[in-house]
Amino acid sequence: MSVGCLVDYLNNIKYYLRLGSSDEKEIIRELSTHIDDRVEELKENGLSEEEAASTCIRLMGSAKKVARQLYEAHSQGTWKQTLLAATPHLLFALLFALSWWPGVGWLLIILTLLFGMAIYGWWQKKPNWFFSWMGYLLIPVLLTGLLMFYLPRGWTWLAVVLYIPLTAVLVYHITVQTIRRDWLYSSLVFLPLPIVVAWFITVGSAGTSNVPNIQYVKYFGPWIGLSFLILALSVALFIRLRQRWLKIALLMISGLLTLVLVAYYADGRLGLPAFAILSFVVLALFVTPAILEHKIRHNQT
Amino acid sequence: MSKSYELITSSTDSLLLCLLTEQPMYGYQIIKELRGRSQGYFNFKEGTLYPALHRLESEALIEGKWQLLPNGQQRKYYHITDKGLAQMAEKRDQWLGFLNAMNSIIQPAD
Repeated sequence: MSVGCLVDYLNNIKYYLRLGSSDEKEIIRELSTHIDDRVEELKENGLSEEEAASTCIRLMGSAKKVARQLYEAHSQGTWKQTLLAATPHLLFALLFALSWWPGVGWLLIILTLLFGMAIYGWWQKKPNWFFSWMGYLLIPVLLTGLLMFYLPRGWTWLAVVLYIPLTAVLVYHITVQTIRRDWLYSSLVFLPLPIVVAWFITVGSAGTSNVPNIQYVKYFGPWIGLSFLILALSVALFIRLRQRWLKIALLMISGLLTLVLVAYYADGRLGLPAFAILSFVVLALFVTPAILEHKIRHNQT
Repeated sequence: MSKSYELITSSTDSLLLCLLTEQPMYGYQIIKELRGRSQGYFNFKEGTLYPALHRLESEALIEGKWQLLPNGQQRKYYHITDKGLAQMAEKRDQWLGFLNAMNSIIQPAD
């Protein structure tokens, strides 16, 4: 294909597809052979190369519309992928609802599973279920940061010098890597984190010493489990839905609803400022990756 | 002849399955067949054919396979599957029943 506008047309379709690289390559290859055939026929009918190219683009239809329809044809995950994507949320729901969390054995099994599945998913070129597992891998990193608030005063330098820069680099790297596939998966990766922080604050403010107390984790266990169960159901539905706008709305609403649930069961322990900040964080999880993706793609083109 | 785009959109799957019961075809060939046989009635935007084909493929009603042609070109040919054949038979019955019923209303026998 020699005419620039046809290359631009295919690049536009690729821009809006947001599918895995192998799917994208195959779709572009197929459309490219169609365009070659059509241009060849139009040229045989007496059109110049430029006329044939512009007629071909008109006959193909809007690149954005074609890409959206192709996305919808490919975006529905299988039931196996749905189960795999919901599993980390379900594991955490069971961990708290059935009070498995005090057992070191269960924690080790879940951590091993998290690392194992994340590595397997990366090796499988990041299928749609991979991003849920990726998000839970960040929970130990997040908890380390939250626990740093309880270190003696002199140790704050450790957080400033080591934790904050390392975490910032890690989060940025994960976000950029995820955005290359689709910014929506970046929102999926980070979605459980505000919920975990909300429960951490609730449990922390339940005691007298302002330190997370195991007794209170036990007390709130069923509700913590319920919030992870809601996330599991939302992610399962997310994988099965075809329409992109429905996927975005579902994740956003489920994130906010889960925060409302935490605030309700926290019985005043999650203050209004914390609730407002966390709600803002949930919304930022959708806006920031979308803007970042736009900037990255704009720079690439 | 005026067209009902709603009717065309809702019958795209049946049209594609019906064509593929005859022989495996690639996208451009399908467009030409549809346009030629319907005398230009089924003349939709070419880019929208592929989402329909890929959706049918994801439902395992058809299967796409890349084939190398003698001239060195590669094309993705779509074959109908057993599941697609069963669905096509069902759709054909539904269409024939619908057409008969419609005809008996809008063109009643004297």
